[in-house]
Amino acid sequence: MVRFADGGERVPATLPDWLRWQAQQQGESIALRHKRLGIWQARTWTQVAGEVRGLASALQVRGFAGDSLLVILSRPRPEALLAALAAQWLGGVAALFDPLAEAAGQRELLRELQPDFVFAETLDELERLRGAGLAPRLTIYAEARGVRAQEGEQDYARLLAGLRPAQPEPQAQAGRGAFAFYRRGASGRSERQLIGHDELLRQGRQLVQAERLGAQEEALAARAFAAGGQARYLLAPWLIAGFRLNFPESLATRDNDRRELGPTLVAGTRETYGRLHELALARLPQPGSVSRHLVDWALARRPGLLRQTLGHWLVRRPLRDVLGFSRTRTPLLVGEPLPRDAEAFFAGLGVAVRAWPDPSEWHSPPVHPLPSVDGWVAGGPQPV
Amino acid sequence: MSYPTSQPLLELDNISLAFKGVKAISNISFAVADGEICALIGPNGAGKSSLLNVINGVYRPQEGQIRFDRVERPRMRPHQAAELGIARTFQNIALFRSLSVLDNVLTGRNLRRQGHWLGQALRTPGAAAEEDRQREAAERVIEFLRLQPWRDAVVGRLPYGLQKRVELARALAAEPRLLLLDEPMAGMNAGEKREMSRFIVETNREFGTTVVLIEHDIGVVMGISDHVVVLDYGRKIGDGPPDAVRRDPEVIAAYLGTRH
Repeated sequence: MVRFADGGERVPATLPDWLRWQAQQQGESIALRHKRLGIWQARTWTQVAGEVRGLASALQVRGFAGDSLLVILSRPRPEALLAALAAQWLGGVAALFDPLAEAAGQRELLRELQPDFVFAETLDELERLRGAGLAPRLTIYAEARGVRAQEGEQDYARLLAGLRPAQPEPQAQAGRGAFAFYRRGASGRSERQLIGHDELLRQGRQLVQAERLGAQEEALAARAFAAGGQARYLLAPWLIAGFRLNFPESLATRDNDRRELGPTLVAGTRETYGRLHELALARLPQPGSVSRHLVDWALARRPGLLRQTLGHWLVRRPLRDVLGFSRTRTPLLVGEPLPRDAEAFFAGLGVAVRAWPDPSEWHSPPVHPLPSVDGWVAGGPQPV
Repeated sequence: MSYPTSQPLLELDNISLAFKGVKAISNISFAVADGEICALIGPNGAGKSSLLNVINGVYRPQEGQIRFDRVERPRMRPHQAAELGIARTFQNIALFRSLSVLDNVLTGRNLRRQGHWLGQALRTPGAAAEEDRQREAAERVIEFLRLQPWRDAVVGRLPYGLQKRVELARALAAEPRLLLLDEPMAGMNAGEKREMSRFIVETNREFGTTVVLIEHDIGVVMGISDHVVVLDYGRKIGDGPPDAVRRDPEVIAAYLGTRH
């Protein structure tokens, strides 16, 4: 666990400060891994900090400032995370959008937002932006495949390659916003959730302490991180505890990748665990069969010693391997509770899913341009 | 010869092919420009697959000449065609059904391998590095065609549409200059066709690969092709850009259908 000497070092107060601190403390340790071309490609903390700083420099040159917003329309991938951190490095806010969300509604939200700076993952996301009639000052795209870049659109790799040596210092402030999320509310009006650095770090620190997380953890960022819970309970703890954050090759391979990786920390939602529960059920023997009776017998809660031992070797351990939970010691549930059958299933497997609150507060209407206030939306409730 | 406006990669000049006196192809000439997508269309039995077999040396025409990359290739055999950079897929899937997707794609790298079998047997550092290079090249194709979720799956157990994509992957692994696709979308549903069309167009754009494809779905042909050649009973009855071919009265009468 992270500890600071009494009266000595200043505790980092923002996400970019924590990134810089980790780069100083364990620069050569692996911070991020991303499966690509069948291989886990790694970035050290020094490399991550350098890349974020370089991106911040590129954004700054193009006019990104402390009150700017970077819209990120991407599945989980290192470049998207680093772009978000680069925006925060300059004191700005990263607004995360899930590309799998309904396109028409998202286009409408983006149209209202009229962002000047955007990170789009692939040609599909670029086309969604173009379809919304947006004309950002800079659009960074991660995958150049099929893209015929229009004015203001730039390939991530080229942007990084063309960097100038002048690189800015972190300008984020503890009380300012770090991540923003947008949605269409029940009334039909757009709503925003703004999470500040101090709030993220407070909740991240609580998780790190309660779950005794350290640099030895392996976490998998399999869900789109276009949700507050991912920022609170995965990204902030990653920077605070300094563990390894792994990205799957694609959403379609995430179950294989999880199995291969065996993460120690899983930060999932009701949907994540529900999907894994269904995956397991689909692979179990037919109900009523002898083998299924054996499985049910082994998964019973509070088993005796014999049942516990046999059940572990014959059923629970292989099943945990199949689901990628072989090493998981911190299975977190963010947001809504699990259905009872799924909860019972994971408990029977010996995976004690712990629920962490998702204290999302949505406010309507979002103010544009982004307010330069400390904490939450002007006039809204302040973070506790 | 007609149509291509830029440098041709492939030129067929008065090609005729007969099987035991039955004419399959009569005096067909056309050229395929470097970097274009050319579609061969026509009713069943029009000679389309035979023409692909002539291009990659499976059949030797009784008359006519083939030029590939501006060099005449009078007696080209299939392995020579492969060495020249001509790859193909088949109407009926021809994969190693018991091998994984990755292994099938790696077989497409055979002509790109360097080194000696002895080095591989002894696992010399050079041979290991070569293995890594081949694996990386295969992985790039797998990524390009979004086959990662099935990398280790046995091909014979995959759905038909995916098997067609693996076949395309194996052909692409050879890094061809000319890709011959024999009905790459046969038997696919609309979604699979859309996906496959997109892969073909992206292959053409990203790698500059020239594509000659046989396809029956006129919507697909008109949507992705730069150039369409129409065959009927072994004769060429149309040759040009999709819009011009679509308006050609002879083509309409013979293949696209007339309005009564």
